[in-house]
Amino acid sequence: MIKDFAGIPRDEFEFVGETEEKSEVLTRPSISFWKDVWRRLFKNKVAMTGLIIILAIALFSIIIPELSSYSYSQQNLRNINAAPSSEHWFGTDSLGRDLWVRIWVGARVSLAVGIFGSIIPSLIGVVIGGISGYFGGKVDMIIMRLIDIIICIPQMIYIILIMLVIGSGPVPLIIAFAITGWMGSARNVRGLILKIKQEEFVLASRILGAPHGYIIFKHLVPNTLGIVVVSMTLGVPAAIFQEAYLSFIGLGIKPPIPSWGQLANLGTSVFRIFPTQLLIPAIMISLTMLSFNLFGDGLRDALDPKLRS
Amino acid sequence: MTEKILEVKDLEFSFDTYAGEVHAIRGVSFHINRSESLAIVGESGCGKSVTVQSIMRLVPTPPGRLKGGKIFYFGKDITNYSDRQMEKLRGKEMSMIFQDPMTSLNPTMRIGRQISEGIKKHEKISPDEARKRSVNLLKEVGISDPERNIMRYPHMYSGGMRQRVMIAIALACNPKILFADEPTTSLDVTTQAQILEVMNHLKQEFEMAIVLITHNLGIVARFAERISVMYAGKIVETGKTDDIFYDPRHPYTWGLLNSVPAVGKKRTEKLPTIKGTPPDLFMPPKGCAFYDRCEYRMKVCKENDPPERMIGEGHYASCWLLDERAPGIKPYVVKRHAGESSGKGLM
Amino acid sequence: MVRYIFRRLLISLLTLWLLATITFFMLRLLPGNPFQTDQILTFEMQERMMNYYGLNRPIIEQYFTYMGNLLQGNMGYSLKYTNRTVNSIIAKAFPVSADLGLRSLALALPVGLFLGIASARKRGKAVDYLCVIISVIGVSIPSFILGSFLQYIFALKLRILPMAQWTTEMHKVLPTVAIALGLLATLTRIMRASMLEVTTQDYVKTAKSKGLSEGKIVWSHEIRNALIPILTMMGPMVASVLMGTFVIEKIFAIPGLGLHFVNSITGLDYTMTMGLTVFFGAFLVTANFLVDIAYGIVDPRIRIAK
Repeated sequence: MIKDFAGIPRDEFEFVGETEEKSEVLTRPSISFWKDVWRRLFKNKVAMTGLIIILAIALFSIIIPELSSYSYSQQNLRNINAAPSSEHWFGTDSLGRDLWVRIWVGARVSLAVGIFGSIIPSLIGVVIGGISGYFGGKVDMIIMRLIDIIICIPQMIYIILIMLVIGSGPVPLIIAFAITGWMGSARNVRGLILKIKQEEFVLASRILGAPHGYIIFKHLVPNTLGIVVVSMTLGVPAAIFQEAYLSFIGLGIKPPIPSWGQLANLGTSVFRIFPTQLLIPAIMISLTMLSFNLFGDGLRDALDPKLRS
Repeated sequence: MTEKILEVKDLEFSFDTYAGEVHAIRGVSFHINRSESLAIVGESGCGKSVTVQSIMRLVPTPPGRLKGGKIFYFGKDITNYSDRQMEKLRGKEMSMIFQDPMTSLNPTMRIGRQISEGIKKHEKISPDEARKRSVNLLKEVGISDPERNIMRYPHMYSGGMRQRVMIAIALACNPKILFADEPTTSLDVTTQAQILEVMNHLKQEFEMAIVLITHNLGIVARFAERISVMYAGKIVETGKTDDIFYDPRHPYTWGLLNSVPAVGKKRTEKLPTIKGTPPDLFMPPKGCAFYDRCEYRMKVCKENDPPERMIGEGHYASCWLLDERAPGIKPYVVKRHAGESSGKGLM
Repeated sequence: MVRYIFRRLLISLLTLWLLATITFFMLRLLPGNPFQTDQILTFEMQERMMNYYGLNRPIIEQYFTYMGNLLQGNMGYSLKYTNRTVNSIIAKAFPVSADLGLRSLALALPVGLFLGIASARKRGKAVDYLCVIISVIGVSIPSFILGSFLQYIFALKLRILPMAQWTTEMHKVLPTVAIALGLLATLTRIMRASMLEVTTQDYVKTAKSKGLSEGKIVWSHEIRNALIPILTMMGPMVASVLMGTFVIEKIFAIPGLGLHFVNSITGLDYTMTMGLTVFFGAFLVTANFLVDIAYGIVDPRIRIAK
């Protein structure tokens, strides 16, 4: 595009005033970090779908057992292994128990175990990792070496041993998770804190004489919060899986208290003849794990500063 | 010898991002002659790296995109060369060294192999020949005990050493042009000088043109024969080194020259800077991109992008101040440092 | 390198010691007396138990007896199989599980790595989405559920593969796939992430600037470096294959060590459970140690210290 520069009048060539300060103004309004995170999260349809499914399942698990006329342990030996019908929406199992109710009570159990089984070890890990990272030195070295040694054995083996001793059920399960699951979280948080400690703004704070508490809450917590929440979220499907696995091998949750893992286990023995008894809990497990994975991934992407536009 | 070996005409390059199109290069033209050294100077983000990397097609294309312009190598139009054709040029005719030597070498491959890899691609030679040449190249860049060093891995070396290896790699096939993308920015001052020495020496020995990208005017004075000043995706002034240092015509160039700390200046004087920040390249301004920060701006500058005007032989600038209708201003006074030589660049 | 190996060795030994000690105390903590099971133990059995576990002697002595036994490779006696030692059961069943495990790895590794590379290179295209879907699903569906499904579809409905047991090659297909799929999904995910990370590295740009062809760059520069993080994952992968065998062997009635382990839990054969736990622990620690050595060899930054 060739403009007719020769045609520009002479008076255009007058000086304009002093350089205005406006060029110092940032050219795009800066959004606060957390608002940006929310915005990106909401935009992520896949992650939001996951979240909606989770909330729906949680809601159902609370409401439905209250509305049902059957209890989860109520047996009816005259109507065993029934196919889904208008009376029993999901059918009945080999002892005549209503599967619809058992699935949703099982949902309560599996979700509770999954959620607490992820949050509690995470929190323990945050505290231990935080102490290790913040104070450094010998404390740090000892804790890290211990973790190095303990972590060589898969968590599941420790859990199996513990459950053999303390018995099965939701509470023992959560305890077992808490005792054996904090190491990963501790390592992550410790690494993060070590990195942040080096940052200059922390150094500046300390030089200015800020007390430990201030530094922890104003600097360390906000920067680690995101990562901790993500790992807690992604830890839920792992916990749900572990519960299912343990119930499957006979250790996790024993009848009559239902859990999805236990229902899956009971379902596999009659799978060839009555496939719905396995299919339904299996779908619930997979759907829930998938939803938490998708939401957790979305959360992690939303928190990643490199993707900020 | 003023034979044009590379000519870039009206190059336009953009990045397609989530937030929109970033107009990184908005019409850049320059040329390089055989065996000469050209420096492209500008602040971070002005597009100098993207310019040379896009010539060698090293910018990932998504999200990058060549929007317009032409590139000629020895007169041949290479703008639309296929990947295969570009592979033949890279390493053999033109090569590049990058800013961060710590990450520019493959950590799991021996140094000797990283050098000979390039040679083997372009020439048919025996492994033994390749090895000998790698050893020689290491000698040329000043690495002692080359026989042992070709068997070593990059993590054993310091930044300066790694940059020398990079130079050896770049020179392996005697290219006609070496693009040096901020090669000394991440090195300390002493090492900087050493690396520039190496490059200087090799330029003479191999008769190679060097395009030096930098934001440091200080190293440019002694190294380059010609300088192009870049701002916000465009070249605002080009000329021989003497012209740029002693008769600069663009207000941005003045700003850059002023902000070079001068030896002998009083320490209590504040270091001058150019107020403001470069414009957002999502929506590049219609007129001159330097408008917001320019002390001498005029009404015409806001709406109209100044065309390139010739000032002397080989000396061009894009500024409305050069137009005959513009009011005269005090000529820019070059602030001389104590003890500065008045010769040209050393090549 | 030597220091590195030495360190890993030390940690491995300490881990083993820790595990053995934990199992020792777990046995003591079991509710009730595990030796008074429903079965009436024969006199010989009781003798053997007494000798092995030193039950009448003070705890410290018991501990050393136990540790001594373990060091000699003696894992104890089963409560259920009255004539058998844990060792003999291991000897018979381990090869079966090893076979299953190795087959699963042999299937999952090449396929998983290949898909990971393919989906990273053709990012955003059909292959990528497909691989992402496969990997997300594979990670979300537990292997025992997958195993049951496979049984249902291929053995029951389509009748092209056998339902259970481990006799012919055909028998081995479904169980292998059941374990391999989960592993494959993880591998694809990690390899994809690793490749994407490597592709943006500066040295890839350097390689390109030399004029090397795309294929050469991917092979010599990208894959080589992308494989290193995968190697560090090999330890946990072997562990997860092991865990997989427990449930898959149960579903497919495969006479492997996993099946015995699971049965020992449901059957309250505590000594068997403990013995097998120690065995599995030792196996995994050894596997981890070997992976550590391999990693030390492959990554020159560890192999050759500055």
